[in-house]
Amino acid sequence: MRSANQTNLKSLMVLIVLFVVLSPLHSSAQKVSIQFDKYHGYTETVHYLERISKAFPDITELVEIGKSNMGRPIWVLVVSNMHNGVTLDRFVELRNMRKEGVNNVKPMKSYQGKPGHWICGSTHGNEFTGTEVCLYIIDRLITGYGSESEIKKLVDHHTFYICPVLNPDGVFNSVEKGKAQRANSQNKDDDRDGKTNEDGPDDLNGDGFITSFRYPDPQGRYVIDDQDSRLMTRLGDHEETDRMRYSVIREDTDNDKDGRRGEDPEDGVDINRNFPEGWFKENGLPGGQGKYPTSTPEAHAVAEFFTNHRNIIMAQFYHTSGGFTFRPMGTAPHTKMHPMDVAVFDLIMGKKYLEIIGDEIPEAWQNPESLDRFKTELKEKSKNKYAAMRGYELPRGWRVSYNESRDRRYSYGMATDWAYMQYGMYSITTELWNFRKDIPDFPEIKDTGRSSDSWRALLKYQDEKYDGKFFVPWKQYIHPELGEGEIGGWIPIYRNNAFPGKPLVQVCEKHWKFEHFRASLMPRIEITDVQTRVLFSTDNARTASVFRQGNHVSIEKGEPKGKFRIIEISATIENKGKLATHLARGSELSGNREDVVWLIGDRDKVTFIQGTPFQKLGVLAGTMDIPGYNERTTPSSPSSRSRAMRRFYRTQYYPREWRPESEEFQQEPEASRPKRNVKWLIKVQGNTPLKIIATSQKGGTQMAEVPIK
Amino acid sequence: MKSIKSHHKKATAGWIVLVFLMTVASAPLFAQKKNQKSPGGYHGELDFPISWKSYYSYAQWTQIMHDIQKKYSHLSDIQSIGKTRMGRHQYLITITAKSTGKHEQKPAMWVDGAVHGNEVNGITCSLYLMWYLLTRYDYDPYVHDLVDRCTFYILPGLNVDANASYIEHPNTAHNPREPFRPEDNDGDGLYDEDRTEDVDGDSEISVMYIQHQDGEYKLSADQRRFVRVQDPEEKITRFLRIGSEGFDNDGDGFINEDDIGGPDPNRNYPSGWNLRVGNPYPMSEPCTRNAYEFMLDHPNIFAGFHYHNIGRLIMFVTPPRQERSQIQRADQYLRNRERYEEYLKKKREQNKYAQVFDIQVREGYEDDMDVQAKIVQMGARILKNYRPVPTGGMGQAQASTYDMLGAYGYLIELWGPPVFAADENDDGRVSDEEYLKWIDIELNGEGWVKPHEWEHPDLGPIWIGGTRKKHVYRTPPARYIEMEALKNAQFVMYCASQFPEVDITDIQVKPVSHDLYWLQVEVTNDHLYPTASDRSIKLGRTEKDRLQIKTSSNISIVPVLKGVPKLSPIDNRQECIPVRSDEIEFRLRGEDSLKFCILIQTKGQKGWIDINIWSQHGGTDRQRIEFKPRP
Repeated sequence: MRSANQTNLKSLMVLIVLFVVLSPLHSSAQKVSIQFDKYHGYTETVHYLERISKAFPDITELVEIGKSNMGRPIWVLVVSNMHNGVTLDRFVELRNMRKEGVNNVKPMKSYQGKPGHWICGSTHGNEFTGTEVCLYIIDRLITGYGSESEIKKLVDHHTFYICPVLNPDGVFNSVEKGKAQRANSQNKDDDRDGKTNEDGPDDLNGDGFITSFRYPDPQGRYVIDDQDSRLMTRLGDHEETDRMRYSVIREDTDNDKDGRRGEDPEDGVDINRNFPEGWFKENGLPGGQGKYPTSTPEAHAVAEFFTNHRNIIMAQFYHTSGGFTFRPMGTAPHTKMHPMDVAVFDLIMGKKYLEIIGDEIPEAWQNPESLDRFKTELKEKSKNKYAAMRGYELPRGWRVSYNESRDRRYSYGMATDWAYMQYGMYSITTELWNFRKDIPDFPEIKDTGRSSDSWRALLKYQDEKYDGKFFVPWKQYIHPELGEGEIGGWIPIYRNNAFPGKPLVQVCEKHWKFEHFRASLMPRIEITDVQTRVLFSTDNARTASVFRQGNHVSIEKGEPKGKFRIIEISATIENKGKLATHLARGSELSGNREDVVWLIGDRDKVTFIQGTPFQKLGVLAGTMDIPGYNERTTPSSPSSRSRAMRRFYRTQYYPREWRPESEEFQQEPEASRPKRNVKWLIKVQGNTPLKIIATSQKGGTQMAEVPIK
Repeated sequence: MKSIKSHHKKATAGWIVLVFLMTVASAPLFAQKKNQKSPGGYHGELDFPISWKSYYSYAQWTQIMHDIQKKYSHLSDIQSIGKTRMGRHQYLITITAKSTGKHEQKPAMWVDGAVHGNEVNGITCSLYLMWYLLTRYDYDPYVHDLVDRCTFYILPGLNVDANASYIEHPNTAHNPREPFRPEDNDGDGLYDEDRTEDVDGDSEISVMYIQHQDGEYKLSADQRRFVRVQDPEEKITRFLRIGSEGFDNDGDGFINEDDIGGPDPNRNYPSGWNLRVGNPYPMSEPCTRNAYEFMLDHPNIFAGFHYHNIGRLIMFVTPPRQERSQIQRADQYLRNRERYEEYLKKKREQNKYAQVFDIQVREGYEDDMDVQAKIVQMGARILKNYRPVPTGGMGQAQASTYDMLGAYGYLIELWGPPVFAADENDDGRVSDEEYLKWIDIELNGEGWVKPHEWEHPDLGPIWIGGTRKKHVYRTPPARYIEMEALKNAQFVMYCASQFPEVDITDIQVKPVSHDLYWLQVEVTNDHLYPTASDRSIKLGRTEKDRLQIKTSSNISIVPVLKGVPKLSPIDNRQECIPVRSDEIEFRLRGEDSLKFCILIQTKGQKGWIDINIWSQHGGTDRQRIEFKPRP
């Protein structure tokens, strides 16, 4: 008895605990705090994401999208209200399905019915300031959800897919092992000696960081800086000097005794050269990195995630450093882009970005109506033919990696180009961290064009504000192969990342603002003005058969069928968001579809007389005028219906009369309206609920009940 | 075949002051080896009987693979190269004689069957090759030599999810074709929601027709087919063609408009991939990615066969062509056409399988074009009614095999209309009537779905039928499986038999003066393929062939001057490559030999010289020359 009582008590307690944990009230009140006075690296970031997803199950979900080569999961935190999303598959009843029962289609997640915003940090392992910005954005979304109405709206209406660490191995080695690693990790045998990754850099003095080793060398390329003896200055190619010459190498020794240092490290492939767009050279030979496009588990994970989350319309891939943003493209000139997309990128997003980072906004962007004048001016003035086409040179803060003046591509297989060209996203890469602007009290330095001035100032700044923590003072060390010298120098993680503390928070705040702005541009489908009109109603309908002989027609009534009505239903489908439901590029892609509206009722009781159960609406324009883009039309709807589809339209026989050919039901040409009116004429038996579902890939899905009056 | 070996040739010049003997390192290859006798022409097939009279289910054929591997474990290994989207293992069998070396150290042939789900005779052809090689090894000297010298990586089913569905469930002849990535074909926001169904439950998916006054079809006189109405005035029951059997699953008024299947797996490979035909991204499907990763990890793969159907084509990947404008190309075509046709006609007089291709390849790719033309000409000879066609690009598997791995790539379109049996008027085609007759006579009536009435839940009374069954249309009927598989196995084996093999075929020594001697070494690759493809060299995937010389301490190599005329010191009508140090790199084309001359200096009357050649794909050879005083 006693033990039974105890069990009961226990289970009661478990119930209480469960209730407490699951209660939304409790969880949103709970706080998972985060500080930005140090870098979180991979392990702590994952720990934070886990705590967040446990504490806020109503607005977050943690998803593993892949695993790195070293087995570390790549996590995406989905931030969205998990209870208010609508997806089409929940409403359409499927019948007489194939008996084979291949179960390859998973139910959609509710958040896939909202416009998506992808934000990812640390494609390059040593550029993890983006990880911190991601964490900051998560923190702002979560903490703001309960208190700020604007943020609540963001989380209710949108889905944020935040991937703080895309390159787990690179970040782990960079932050937690003190070794800067840009690429991913890979088990491989670079020097073909039969051993894997046996000769990477080494922490010779055991201080937890891979810094530098300097040693006197008559052939060396470095001298000690004349103003700050801790810094090394690189000599020019044929520069003469009387001072002592040094060589500076990474802390490293020849682990496998083959006469070479660091020739078989863990470093693998640069993930941002492993995406399909522009991966090949023009001559058909491989140009990007990796064995083939998406060969790395990281790029593969992103590609698979984007393919399965077609709702993503905004994408940000954070890198460091410089304090500017690359918009597409780098692998091709900007003529490959649709002018409308260019206008949205530059005159809407670019303008806001420059405003936020405090850069000067080009004159043309402020006066888009006089773009033509700027074009003629540039035609004479500028050597950059692309600038003349657009009407402006791209400013320092908002640029492309394509070399426009020399008309030469930059690199192969980059994520930003790919996400724009192949998925139709507003994808950008922001190079975070410009210490001159992001450190509020940074002393003015004369711009002599030499980077040594900046390094001196930074070193001095960290002496004063961070007790010199970012720099290891040179200390004598006897290298097993190179002999006497010193180990010291910048700790690699601080070399190109925002200094923790205030400067980092500055960076985070600016870019949170910018992504917040971008989120506010997203399309949003709504169903408005649902009208019904009962044209005919009877409570005792009967079946009927028609007999015809020449011009004589006789009708014979059959069995009673009860209540029947003929109803006309009309509705307006509207895009209340600022941008169209597809980019111009997006509307051309075969993986994307038009916006669609369904009328759904009980199939046994509803017959369509005019109008089809689903109708295609083309692409719905946004409410915003696109500055600098005059044609008041969105580009055409997805022209690239798959070949199978087009064939299908030609040959498919409609067995019923309601083939929408009558003029009344012809859609107006797919033009640039943010609204579409749709109509159906249906026959309804009895009382059956009817629903209208409007679904757009990137503009979200909405459902409206149809009240029959 | 190998017939010239160095030890058959004797240096006869009387002025040789020293006797030199050669120790032959390797056994002569042409001496045919095998372990069993072949009484009555028996070649071992019944040691492991397999019936080729049906298409096997996934469970059955993977079981056969495992069983045969167990029996011939000294010749084969089996592994799963990964799992498909629906979790099926992709089993690959590696065939090579383990006694003669590791599989990864021999030039290898890749064979994959059925990248398209419905092209399942690729599976039987792959299995047949496996069976042929393993069972005949002990009885057939040709197979014995091949399996000793080469490796075969055979992946019978690549797209096994769709393969299994095609064989094990009712399907049309053309579906399912792709891997099962969910796709929204009709753009309605739902994925794969309206598939085909076997409406009448007869295990075949035929075509549905509905009676309709505006119909374009009528029943044929024999009531077996639906034929077009020719005379618009004809008073007859007319039918509309609806399409394949199926229901309107999602209630949108369309039938089968969003069938299962995602991207075309043969537009999924990296080379020439483009979004329009290759959506969503290269190597997006687990089944293609696993196969391609395996190929990447095995640089010993020298050529690859990819099985498809139908059309009886030998599609071979051509090297990149010269870049010319369309006008230039058209111009060239016109100028060349007559010349080519005449040339081809002349060649065909001697050999009806002769092939000539009007293709100008980019500089540095001539050897590849040359060997591909020779190989497919033999292919046309072996496969009889198959036609060679150049191919490439567009993300197709065979294109990546060549473009990215540098291995020679072939796509075989197996089977086709049964012209060989049914073409009565000899017009090279099989008309509907001829087809039906073939089904009646050769297949004894099996293989046809007769039109019959049926009540359809969405459409009411309809007619179903008037089509061939899937295995009569797209794949050979069971009785022809072996006929098709045997000749295709022969072609794959022929290609493997032409993998490069480097040999030292001649060594000569000639005194110069005092203690200086010329040593001349001839190396030969007498097979069709070069030791490395032009493409693999451009890709940097192949190391060059090497000649290395080691000597006893009293013999040294004299570095001859640069600019020494490249003429043979033995016979100055021949070219010869002077060797200035103890190693030289070279590359042998197909059916090609090179001569190297080395100036050596000896001290004393004894000593030895070792000549080693190494080739990544062509193997190694070694000869030793010993100097001895004359007894």
